[in-house]
Amino acid sequence: MNIRFKTLAELKELLEKKEISSYELVKETFKNISSSKTNSFITLDEEAALNRARDFDEGKVDGDLAGIPIAQKDLFCTKNLRTTCGSKILENFIPPYDATVVDNLSAAGSICVGKTNMDEFAMGSSNETSFYGTVRNPWDLERVPGGSSGGSAAAVSEGLVCAATGTDTGGSIRQPAALCGITGIKPTYGRASRWGMIAFASSLDQAGAFARNAEDCALLLNHICSHDLKDSTSISDLQENYLDNINNDLKGKKIGIIKEFDISSLSKEVQDSFEQSKKIFEALGANFVEVSMPNIKLSVPTYYVVAPAECSSNLSRFDGVKYGYRAKDVDNLEELYIKSRSEGFGDEVKRRILIGTYVLSAGFYDAYYKKAQQTRRMIKNDFVDAFNKVDVIMSPSSPSSAFKIGSKTEDPIEMYLEDLFTISSNLAGVPAMSIPHGFSDGLPIGLQLIGNYLEESKILNFAHQYQKNSDWHFKTPNLGESS
Amino acid sequence: MDNKTVETISYLARLKLDKDKKEKITKDLENIIDFVAELQDLNTKDVAPLSNPLEKVAPKREDSVNSKSRKEAFLTNSPESDQDYFVVPKVVE
Repeated sequence: MNIRFKTLAELKELLEKKEISSYELVKETFKNISSSKTNSFITLDEEAALNRARDFDEGKVDGDLAGIPIAQKDLFCTKNLRTTCGSKILENFIPPYDATVVDNLSAAGSICVGKTNMDEFAMGSSNETSFYGTVRNPWDLERVPGGSSGGSAAAVSEGLVCAATGTDTGGSIRQPAALCGITGIKPTYGRASRWGMIAFASSLDQAGAFARNAEDCALLLNHICSHDLKDSTSISDLQENYLDNINNDLKGKKIGIIKEFDISSLSKEVQDSFEQSKKIFEALGANFVEVSMPNIKLSVPTYYVVAPAECSSNLSRFDGVKYGYRAKDVDNLEELYIKSRSEGFGDEVKRRILIGTYVLSAGFYDAYYKKAQQTRRMIKNDFVDAFNKVDVIMSPSSPSSAFKIGSKTEDPIEMYLEDLFTISSNLAGVPAMSIPHGFSDGLPIGLQLIGNYLEESKILNFAHQYQKNSDWHFKTPNLGESS
Repeated sequence: MDNKTVETISYLARLKLDKDKKEKITKDLENIIDFVAELQDLNTKDVAPLSNPLEKVAPKREDSVNSKSRKEAFLTNSPESDQDYFVVPKVVE
């Protein structure tokens, strides 16, 4: 049976009706992965996945996601399965425990087939910083899939798996979802546990999901999110069933358009798609309101102080002593640290560690780091004000469609501007998602829906209603010989 | 951002830059610092720094042992260990 491009809900139904066994599903998944040209996976776990599929077929596993093959971003620790975070420094790291998100998805019965490729330590917007090679966009193998969760996005887009996890620190779920033509969601900061997620910028990092549509994302989020005592920033508020409100009427609901986001500078196709999407929501009875968020233009510079600062602190744990890469031929402990880190980290990671070290160093702390924390509050306050007036905020997910591999690697700032529309939600900590809503230069582009704190259900409701009235999420790449 | 500054922060971060990449990275860092410098001109008087979006106080818990020791599991991952210890180059002469 051809399982490629089937949704999570469709595969669940096939399993329930016993039209396919989980074993066949997993076998077929690995067959598709072996012919893939996108380099989406770093590590595969075929034997364990097949064993788990057999267990399901024998009735030993149940749960909402039982028997369904999924992929885990290689940033989540997986017990006894290599976890590299896209870095050479963790090339041989085999975690002795599962991340809470991995644990939750496993408890729901899903089967992890492997670990997806990503920008090194999630630092990048194109997947080109991975030590394990660039991921290719299934829509055009010469182009990037976006990043940092590019492997997960490409794997779902190519139909290798129906669902995958991702993490989003500045847009790392939404931008690749947009560039690969699929749906991706980042919940409220703290809604999903960060336990077992290899830390990049702890006040921004948040786990989330990729799938073919919003309904599948809602189902995944039901399991990805949880209150976790092992993460002190985990939210204890009661968690909704994200499918409960997905069919709510949008009549009279208000959608905010950010005045300060200048869409007129983007390509005509990006602008046209945005206008078309507005019409779909208008037809569903929603109203548009312009909201002014005067500080949102400070998001990218604010982020590029806060994120590197936290990164430089978090990545100081990689010293070649307790785990990870250790350099050879060293005379003393200090040389061991320096050589292990210098040989183990790639250029972009080094750049960010250095920026972080600089902005946190004596004499510069107030001018950069403290200042950025202040502008971060101003950005957050803009969101608080905006959500007093509107239900959700809408914008493009990224400035353009997927770019050519190598075209932005020379200039870090040009790459950083890829996340122009996504970064502010991380700084504020609000939930946001991207859904496919058109094409530019023959490549998919995404629409971003941002919600108020803990209102994942509302953006999922908007996204699902949109998808009931559009067919962008049904579009799939032409895989040529690889299919 | 001159060579000396880059050398100082590289040392603070325990990183050594390859000779052939040093110039490019120095230039990149300079551009990035210029890019974020626009924040410095803003009036942020009376704005309290925000370090975490939730601004919640970390919850307290009983100070009790709630997981068993997994010493072996963790030592297995180390590049070099001996019995109960991580092994590093000699630090005392």
